[in-house]
Amino acid sequence: MESFLLILITGIGLGALYFLLASGLSLIFGLMGVLNFAHGAFLTVGAYIGLWVSTKIMTGGSTLTLIAAMLIGGIGAGIFAIIVEQLVITRLYERHIDQALVTVGVSLVTAAVLGGWFSKDPLMIPTPKWFFNATNVGGAAIQQDRFLYIAVALFLLLLFISILQFTRIGLVIRAGVENRSMVTALGINVRLAFSTVFFMGGFAAGIGGVLIGAYIGGVTPHMSASWLIYGFIVVVIGGPGSLGGSALAALLIGVTQQFANFYLTGLGDFVVVLLLVLVLLLKPEGLLGKAKS
Amino acid sequence: MLRWKYSRPLLALLLIYAALGPILPFGPLRGVGMQQTLAIALLYGALALTYDLLFGFTGLLSFGHALYFACGAYLTTIFVNRLHWNLALAALAAVAITAIVALLTGAAALRTSGITFAMVTLAFGELGHVLISRDFGGLTNAENGLPIDAKAIPQIFIGVVNTRYLFWLALAILVFIYVAAWWITESSAGRVFAALRDNEIRVSVLGLNPYRFKLLSFVVAGVLASITGVAMVLVLGSALPEYASTSTTIALLLMVIIGGAVTRWGAVLGGILYSLANTRLQDLTQNAALEKLPKIISGPLTEPTFILGILFILIVMFAPGGISGAYYRARFKYVLRSTQPKK
Repeated sequence: MESFLLILITGIGLGALYFLLASGLSLIFGLMGVLNFAHGAFLTVGAYIGLWVSTKIMTGGSTLTLIAAMLIGGIGAGIFAIIVEQLVITRLYERHIDQALVTVGVSLVTAAVLGGWFSKDPLMIPTPKWFFNATNVGGAAIQQDRFLYIAVALFLLLLFISILQFTRIGLVIRAGVENRSMVTALGINVRLAFSTVFFMGGFAAGIGGVLIGAYIGGVTPHMSASWLIYGFIVVVIGGPGSLGGSALAALLIGVTQQFANFYLTGLGDFVVVLLLVLVLLLKPEGLLGKAKS
Repeated sequence: MLRWKYSRPLLALLLIYAALGPILPFGPLRGVGMQQTLAIALLYGALALTYDLLFGFTGLLSFGHALYFACGAYLTTIFVNRLHWNLALAALAAVAITAIVALLTGAAALRTSGITFAMVTLAFGELGHVLISRDFGGLTNAENGLPIDAKAIPQIFIGVVNTRYLFWLALAILVFIYVAAWWITESSAGRVFAALRDNEIRVSVLGLNPYRFKLLSFVVAGVLASITGVAMVLVLGSALPEYASTSTTIALLLMVIIGGAVTRWGAVLGGILYSLANTRLQDLTQNAALEKLPKIISGPLTEPTFILGILFILIVMFAPGGISGAYYRARFKYVLRSTQPKK
């Protein structure tokens, strides 16, 4: 029972980290049809900015430092996302394959630049004392950082849902996911919605970068590689464009992966890909995605 | 400007020089280091061509192509080391099993299309990479790579003195893949591949099953990639986990885009140039002139992917068609100008 609880909560925590990446990917893909390989670069940039904040600007690794690192890392990554969008993606309007290719280039160049500036060895993000302490939940000793990941992901989910539901720009984004050409035809400025979605995606990915940097014990130029792939898997399983779908799929994948790793001795990645194949065969549009007519 | 009737003999001359280079008493091909570097470059040229078959000719943006390359390499090595099969049998079995793997993964992935297809193939490729680098079943020797048993390899492929045989092997594989790709793309199935890329609905209206033809293209490209994988094991002496990684597929994408898709020779040229650049740019960027620059500039310049990545972005945005595309555009302009009556 203890190990069950431990694995369950660790899995949910992992799912929360996946969600931080997948939420932006899903919205960007749903609204603009862009397969955004640069999302990994947003994550890495956020992580480095967070690192800078928590080692150069503030020191000591207090809770406040971590929050500042997440916020500034998130905003920095969001701004970087808007720059990438304005500089390369909008110029390739509607050329989806080229957009995907160009984001591959952006991620390569970003990793090369960061690799040139900083050492290739992992750089530690200072964490508060409570971060890796265990707390007792139903007899299981669970590291407290897991709860932070879950809380941050929940907060961002609620934030994004409220932006999408209660603001005008959110309405435009939702309408754009549904039928972009119709929104454009009505004379609504979709470009602004594009930039907003990129900022939101970059913001979440940047926060994810800081947390993942703390979780895996170091920031490196290539830290995002496998996380990005899990992000894509979450998007496909959840259904592109659906925030709720991403949240559900992230949870499902995180928990499945942890359980499979424990009970099937390290076959977590294999089971996740099997799950992906299963969803594709039974429901190709994803769990909460809408079938393209 | 080169014309077709001149470029074909030029290609033949180049090929003859490449074939004879290692035994001529002069020229750059005499060096063993050069032969080794070029052997790897030629194999990457061949691999890029197999990717062009999929991405350029059929329009399938796959991010898992490296998986089949690695399959060929690893399965051959495992059969030779574990089961002590002779090399030819091991290679044949490896290619056959890769065909089955490509058939199964392709059949699942092709249920989606476009960008989703890219994501699904990415997941398959990453799965292969994870299985290999975690030493699944104790077969792959994890991150260290799996050296092939030297006793099983024909003697002519062993030792520094014999590097020229490896070079010839790579050249032969490249020629074989090139001819195979030529034959496939010019066959009637190849026409359907191109039609699928340009207008899939039209193909199905004409009564052909798009799914089957895409799967055919996927499997053929996978099988050809596995053949280059087998050759790569012989040239490098071991199967490495990087073969299966997504960055290998992304490198293939860069090769095809930089060289130019859908022209066959563009992909080969791109593959050769990329591979050479990756090994040579490092030497170039470690020279003293760079050290005088501030680190903020010199740091990125020492990374080969920085220059290649920038080049890639510029080509995608401003010069679609890459090197071969630029060549054909220039030739088209030249022909247009020379055929127009002078005023």
